[in-house]
Amino acid sequence: MADPLLEVSDLRVRFRSRGSVVHAVQGIDFTVEPGQTLAIIGESGSGKTVSAYAVMGLLPPTAQVSGSIRFKGVEIVGLGERELQDHRGRNAAMVFQNPERSLNPTMKVGAQITEAVRRHLPLSRPQAHERAVELLRMVRIPAPERRFHEYPHQLSGGMRQRVIIAIALACEPALLIADEATTALDVTTQAQIMNLLLDLQQELGTAMLMISHDLALAASYAEEVMVMYAGRIVERAGAADLFGNVRMPYTRALLDAIPRTDLEPHVLLPVIGGRPPDLSTVLPGCAFAPRCPDAQADCREQAPALEQHEMGHWSACWHPCGKEAAS
Amino acid sequence: MAAPVASLALGVPDADPAATQRRSRTRGLLRTLEITVPGAILLVLLFFCFIWPLVYPVPSPTYGSVLDASLPLWSPGHIFGTTNVGYDNMARILYGGRTTFEVAAAVQVIGLVVGGLLGVVAGYAGGIVEAVLMRVLDIFIAFPSLVLILAIVDGLGQSELHVIWALSAFSIPAVARVARAGTLRLRDQPFVVAARLSSVKAWRIISGHIVPNLMPQLFTFSLLGTGIVIILESGLDFLGYGIPDPAPSWGGMIAYGQTVMSVALSPLVVPSLFLFGTVVCLNLVGDGLRNRWGVR
Amino acid sequence: MSASVTLGPPERIPGHSGTEPDGRPGGAYVRRLARSPALRLAGRRLLIAIPVLWGVTFLTFVVENALPGDAAQALLGANATPAEIRAESIKLHLNQPLLIRYWDWLWAALHGNLGNSLYSGQPVGPIIAQRLPVTIDLVVYALVVTLVISIPLAVLCARRPGGIIDRTIMALCMAGLSIAPIVLALLLLQVFSGYLHNLLPALASGTGNDPRDLTMPALTLALPLAAFYIRFLRADLIEQMQSEDYTVTALAKGLSRWRVLTRHALRNSFIGLLTVIGLNLATLIGVTVIAESIFGLAGMGNELLQAIQHRDVPLLEGIVLVFAGFVVLVNLATDLLYSVLDPRIRHGRSGS
Repeated sequence: MADPLLEVSDLRVRFRSRGSVVHAVQGIDFTVEPGQTLAIIGESGSGKTVSAYAVMGLLPPTAQVSGSIRFKGVEIVGLGERELQDHRGRNAAMVFQNPERSLNPTMKVGAQITEAVRRHLPLSRPQAHERAVELLRMVRIPAPERRFHEYPHQLSGGMRQRVIIAIALACEPALLIADEATTALDVTTQAQIMNLLLDLQQELGTAMLMISHDLALAASYAEEVMVMYAGRIVERAGAADLFGNVRMPYTRALLDAIPRTDLEPHVLLPVIGGRPPDLSTVLPGCAFAPRCPDAQADCREQAPALEQHEMGHWSACWHPCGKEAAS
Repeated sequence: MAAPVASLALGVPDADPAATQRRSRTRGLLRTLEITVPGAILLVLLFFCFIWPLVYPVPSPTYGSVLDASLPLWSPGHIFGTTNVGYDNMARILYGGRTTFEVAAAVQVIGLVVGGLLGVVAGYAGGIVEAVLMRVLDIFIAFPSLVLILAIVDGLGQSELHVIWALSAFSIPAVARVARAGTLRLRDQPFVVAARLSSVKAWRIISGHIVPNLMPQLFTFSLLGTGIVIILESGLDFLGYGIPDPAPSWGGMIAYGQTVMSVALSPLVVPSLFLFGTVVCLNLVGDGLRNRWGVR
Repeated sequence: MSASVTLGPPERIPGHSGTEPDGRPGGAYVRRLARSPALRLAGRRLLIAIPVLWGVTFLTFVVENALPGDAAQALLGANATPAEIRAESIKLHLNQPLLIRYWDWLWAALHGNLGNSLYSGQPVGPIIAQRLPVTIDLVVYALVVTLVISIPLAVLCARRPGGIIDRTIMALCMAGLSIAPIVLALLLLQVFSGYLHNLLPALASGTGNDPRDLTMPALTLALPLAAFYIRFLRADLIEQMQSEDYTVTALAKGLSRWRVLTRHALRNSFIGLLTVIGLNLATLIGVTVIAESIFGLAGMGNELLQAIQHRDVPLLEGIVLVFAGFVVLVNLATDLLYSVLDPRIRHGRSGS
């Protein structure tokens, strides 16, 4: 098997704010192979976005990052700002959540793409222009020549997101990170954009890290799914395996909470009681224990490690859901 | 996720975590210091201008013997020296300060009350009332206020009261503008809309909902505006259009200081320092409060 | 919306887009300009400006005549007898009712005749024309200096908020905002003519043609203004860097923070800055009067002071009209520039 594109080992990210420390990411390990699609699922505060930013090198200097992030064998953690600027956009690129706000309103769309192109590639202005138009065409924006000269507010939300994808792919990065890229879009556009992303992935051989809170979306589009909770990875498996063979009670609860059309009407939707933990204190036991319906004494005492209990399926739970309990 | 997204990537740059913690604690302390120290200085100044002369025999600012004329700084009995006709400068600073504060307070109070009322009414009523009021205010704002002020004072004659009227013509439109903008914003807030829909009387909505929410903004605006009013007033006194001689005023003292600039600097520097110091303290307190209360 | 993705290019709605496929402005562009929201906005502002200008002149007239004393008295001095004053008044047409006098003035003004100075008898127009250049030069000079100082310093501050440079500049700005123009002017005088003697002459040669004459007065105006602008710009830049997503997008492209500040955030700040400039203009004029007085410049400010003293209504009206007109014009210009700079206003929605 080829060398992994991205290797994250024991990544920890801490933020200091006004005397208190927030442990956003508490030691995670994962790898991404070239061309693979990995989804990171979690609720707000689970650390999924912070991890993505760490991989991009976008965290502010106030963030304390420890551990290792190796991109094509090169260590990202501890790099200087200059090197990080070279890394961003060239090796890894990001697509953000809000297409309305992610583009500069006073700058032409084409200029925003050529800016990305010329940052890393030694192209002249006409060449960059050509490349930008080509990118617009690649993300399936009609009349790309015309759109080049337009401003973001003249485009619809879906088109703006395509432009952002075009910007991200401008320098053909090996890794594309989609941070809730479709959350702000309507369902139809969501499907279009996801399909576009997958097609582009195939075409360019880009690996994709899909960050979302939407488990159903991950199921449809990702090869592997990783579930994060309170800064730790709690389960990781191939998409089909995860859904057919759930281990972690948290993941199971997430699955149960997906609205389904085959349920009886007026049935209460199962929700997860309680709220996500406060990340300024690190509790000794499993972070999900306070909310877990299957929690036992040992869950509160010691945090379970992420282990590959079955082939290709990691989970971190003392009392995983058995095959009998799987929905 | 939008705001956290942005703030995640761009924080305050800082290398040393331990120092950050120390610094954040000191920063909290500093922020209060930013308000309390200038505030205390202002209070001390107010005390000396208003209360001190009542308990201590401060020489009269407009009476003096020519024999004591033009004494320099630190002369015995006259800490700040004397003017060319023997008036004690320290007394002139104190009494001049009194005038400054009186005028500033009066002007800002008038501005707050009248301007605030106009602005809130304009903003709340909308329609013709607002349009007319706004056009009138526009006229005042387009008007070089100094012209109006000078004209009024020149025409009515110099006196503290006339200066107050004249400066109010400047303060009222400014407050009205801010009040109107704030009212417009508040008017469409859910809690106000709810009150309106429940047929609560307009004046009750205004007094109970709008005014209390507007107060921090108006107050800090007035506080910051006080510095401007003081500066304007000193300008008037300097030009000879403000407080009439021989009554003391800082601007007037600065004007005198200009005439003797080539010979002695203290008659110029002392009132200038007081003027500067007062405005700086006012601005610091106003700024500090604005940050504290999170006002725009 | 979704249809255009799978079908061919959308039909070209004639006149809808302002650009030809290769980016050149098309014939549609010119047609659209006529309907452009920018021009309509400007037109509307102009319409509003007229009553404002009228209001200003009317207000001046009313105030002047409401105040005790009049030009005749000022002309003849304190020792004149009431009879002499009355005779003079009649000569100056001051005995006619207020509205008639105002109407006379307005009618003449609309025909380009600003009347004659009550004090000197000279026509008002030429008096103003002679004095105007000095004041305009001063104001422009001051604005240029202000912008040259403020923009780079604000960017420096925003680069590292809370850093040492930021805090120093902010402290200086606080001082700049708190210093009275009279104090600043005299300070500059003392420093430059006292200690740096030959660098900048203290009193103007009178004509104000030499830029060196205008430097100190311009600085008197510019420094407090710059303090204000720096704070404003800095706040705007920092806000953009911290809460706007497009700055993160720019960073994710691999751009340095400096480039994101200057190429993205700064552009967007200009719009707000323009509005602020317009708002401050009237105050600037006030300070100009003080500066001209202290530095002895033969500008409109000094003329104004004299006109007030002499109760010289036509001259006063003329000056006031020019000042107010200037403020209105500049605000209009900033409104227009606003629409030019902000593509959202210029182009409106022409999405798919």
